[in-house]
Amino acid sequence: MAGEDEKEKFTQTYAALGIGLVCILIGVPLWWKTTEIYRVQLPYADIHRLAETKIQYSVEIEVISFNSKLTKSLPDIAKSLQTSLTREKRSSVQPVYQVRVRDANNKETSLWKKSKTLDDLDEAFWELTKLRHSKYTILFLPESSNLRARPQYVGRFGNVIVTVSKEGITDMLQQLVPTIQEVLVREGAVEKSLDAAQGLRTQKPDKESMRWFRSNPGYDVTFTLVNPQPDVLDVQWNIQAGIEGYLKPFLDKLANFSDISVASQVLHYVGLVASPKKDSSEKFHFYTEQDLPRMINPLEAKLGSHASNNPTLNFVVYVPGKASSPVYIRDQNGERVASNSFLSPRWGGILIYNAEARSKAAGPTTVDIDIKHIMEVFLTQMRLLLNIHVQTPNQQVSFAELGKEAITEWELSGWLRCRCVENLATAKASLQSLAQLLDQIVNIVINDDIGREVEDAVRSIEHSEELLAGGHLHDAFIESRNAIVASEKAFFDQSLLELLYFPEDQKFAIYIPLFLPISIPVLTSIVQAVKWLKQHRREKLKSQ
Amino acid sequence: MADVFGMKVLLSFALLGAAFVFAGNEEKVQEFFKSGHTNNWAVLVDTSRFWFNYRHVANVLSIYRSVKRLGIPDSHIILMVADDMACNPRNPRPATVFNNAKQHINVYGDDVEVDYRGYEVTVENFIRVLTGRLSPSTPSSKRLLSDERSNVLVYMTGHGGDGFLKFQDAEEVSNVELADAFEQMWQKRRYHEVFFMIDTCQAESMFQKFYSPNILAVASSRVGEDSLSHHVDPALGVYVIDRYTYHALEFLEGVNPGSSKTMGQFLQVCPRHQCISTVSKRTDLFKRDPDKVLLTDFFGSVHNVELLQDTIKLQNVTLDSSSTTCVKDSCKKKAAPKQTLQYAEQFPSPF
Repeated sequence: MAGEDEKEKFTQTYAALGIGLVCILIGVPLWWKTTEIYRVQLPYADIHRLAETKIQYSVEIEVISFNSKLTKSLPDIAKSLQTSLTREKRSSVQPVYQVRVRDANNKETSLWKKSKTLDDLDEAFWELTKLRHSKYTILFLPESSNLRARPQYVGRFGNVIVTVSKEGITDMLQQLVPTIQEVLVREGAVEKSLDAAQGLRTQKPDKESMRWFRSNPGYDVTFTLVNPQPDVLDVQWNIQAGIEGYLKPFLDKLANFSDISVASQVLHYVGLVASPKKDSSEKFHFYTEQDLPRMINPLEAKLGSHASNNPTLNFVVYVPGKASSPVYIRDQNGERVASNSFLSPRWGGILIYNAEARSKAAGPTTVDIDIKHIMEVFLTQMRLLLNIHVQTPNQQVSFAELGKEAITEWELSGWLRCRCVENLATAKASLQSLAQLLDQIVNIVINDDIGREVEDAVRSIEHSEELLAGGHLHDAFIESRNAIVASEKAFFDQSLLELLYFPEDQKFAIYIPLFLPISIPVLTSIVQAVKWLKQHRREKLKSQ
Repeated sequence: MADVFGMKVLLSFALLGAAFVFAGNEEKVQEFFKSGHTNNWAVLVDTSRFWFNYRHVANVLSIYRSVKRLGIPDSHIILMVADDMACNPRNPRPATVFNNAKQHINVYGDDVEVDYRGYEVTVENFIRVLTGRLSPSTPSSKRLLSDERSNVLVYMTGHGGDGFLKFQDAEEVSNVELADAFEQMWQKRRYHEVFFMIDTCQAESMFQKFYSPNILAVASSRVGEDSLSHHVDPALGVYVIDRYTYHALEFLEGVNPGSSKTMGQFLQVCPRHQCISTVSKRTDLFKRDPDKVLLTDFFGSVHNVELLQDTIKLQNVTLDSSSTTCVKDSCKKKAAPKQTLQYAEQFPSPF
């Protein structure tokens, strides 16, 4: 009897132990594995390291001197130019200048002798050296030359031509350094772009950094003609041909770098809510600068919006009605603004187009809009809004004519530099913030494609920084664009929402009703079984 | 005579002095714009549904009307409303929603644009709109496309409690989640400044957990207090507007697009004897002094402008006039088809 009892007890014990073992050795790991949150390993270390590194861009400056009197002082010029250009900056972007100063060789001298104007010389040198975007050539002409370049002349292709005499070298160098830094390389604009991208803001809203649109892979441009009285004025505009003729060269130049789509529309019977004031001479009406902001809102409501998520540049041509025509815009000094237009930062621009005096005949008079004039105005505004424009000429610098593309090579490379740095800084900030978020909230699922986008973004950032430091602007910009597209895609992925997953403190509330009813009997029976076994062993030892 | 002369001399000297001061400052003034933001957005949320919550719909639609009147266009307003009032079978005046028993304004109107309606007003969609984590197929009218120079107005109304806000009787958003959503917005610099307005019971609890900078918040009641409604419309049988929103609207009625009223004045709206609950505000996260901030910085849309002084010069290009717009008669020529069109065979021909 006792033996059978014991046998039964043994079976019970072993059964309890067996179940307990299965539960603990197999059950718990299985439960752990199946409720594990799928998180792809992200390169956190790389992201943190990238956020700390400084962005470097290299600029090559080559000075070619045609003045034989300067040959002896060339090394000194090189040294002083290098020291004044290279300054240690406290921000996280560092320009690296390499300055070379040399005499012109025979080929270059013959080119110089052949050129009749400064533009010819400029173009001839571009043909020689049009390899990379980060190289700028400065030509020192002697005073004896028939080409005069005083003040400094910046050609269409980025060559700076300046007439130098032996005495005026130090003055000339002093004037040359800001031209290189602010006009060609655009150090100030690059730093502003970086500040904006990193989210640092000065207390006062700076005009330039507020005016230009943030870097985006694409933009939408809309041209709108607003005609409040189509029964009186039949306004015709040949906008399609105008875009083909005047805007397309500009867009083609930027085609590799930015995806700009253009649309146009005509709005009839839409007026400006704020009516213009009448001038004391009764001959015209005018708006002051304070009236202008109120003009934009009622128009904006009617303009419509694109289906895309790209930022929109709205350019509006407003043809005033018969009663208030002509309408001029006055600045704060009471002077008429020559272009009769204004722009609003990060929005677009409005041009008030006054139709010519009408005939007394009945019926609507046809007004043909001068497309060239409006394109000039809008292209200027577009250059300002897209961060392409550089300072206007002053006493120290004069610029070559723009040409039909409305953007010069050096403006393009300056723009690429600003945008590249901005893209890199934005991508780094996004990745850093994403890494922080995913670190903090441990139960967000990180899918494969997010992992892939982050890896792509990290690789693109590293590659782009390498290219930028080597001076290959074109490729660096394209890589930085890839980086920003990938990092934005990863950051704004729709699966990264905290709400979709129950928080830590509620996990207990979910698991306890499931596991407690099972685990209590299993644990208590294991405890019982172990106790019984121990007791049994003690009895056995005692009886032996 | 001498006195007048003396006065004239003194005046001219004063003017000269003033002119010098102004001339010195003029250059600096031209460097900066007047305000630090370039565009305005509004996210207006009504979190309740059903007929007896008529007043919440009237609340949010009234704020929508004010914001539109002061200049923010529909493309920059995200309106989340259950939208079951205007066409409710219990509505004795179909297609209208009034915020006053005397029916002064139909706040529903015929140009209201609701972005999230009915059952789309969920906590998930709200957080997605704020953080920008929407599915790629979401249209741009349902997205908050703000940047680091956007001022965002967030208005919420409905039923709330201590630390949560009820969404459509099915779920709730907690103040921690809301604070995290704003932090996510700040991380990606999706706002320049936020004005957070909430009109629910125990509304103060919703902004207590905010920790991101540049947020100014106002709530209609303290923790432990209920926000009360204003008056009932006997024809409808329900309350038509809440007290705080009613008095806020009274204030906003006196504001025009060019007004110089300040946020400090707006924060004083609805004192205890009018609202019965205590209006509380949170200004510690906001860098500027509310008394110096214009109301139109958040409720309206005042653009900065820059006059264009110089334009570039383009060379003349002969335009291709053949491929352009056509006028009635010439259009017919262009539209001439290359091949004659004919109907497809309806019945298969045996030949």
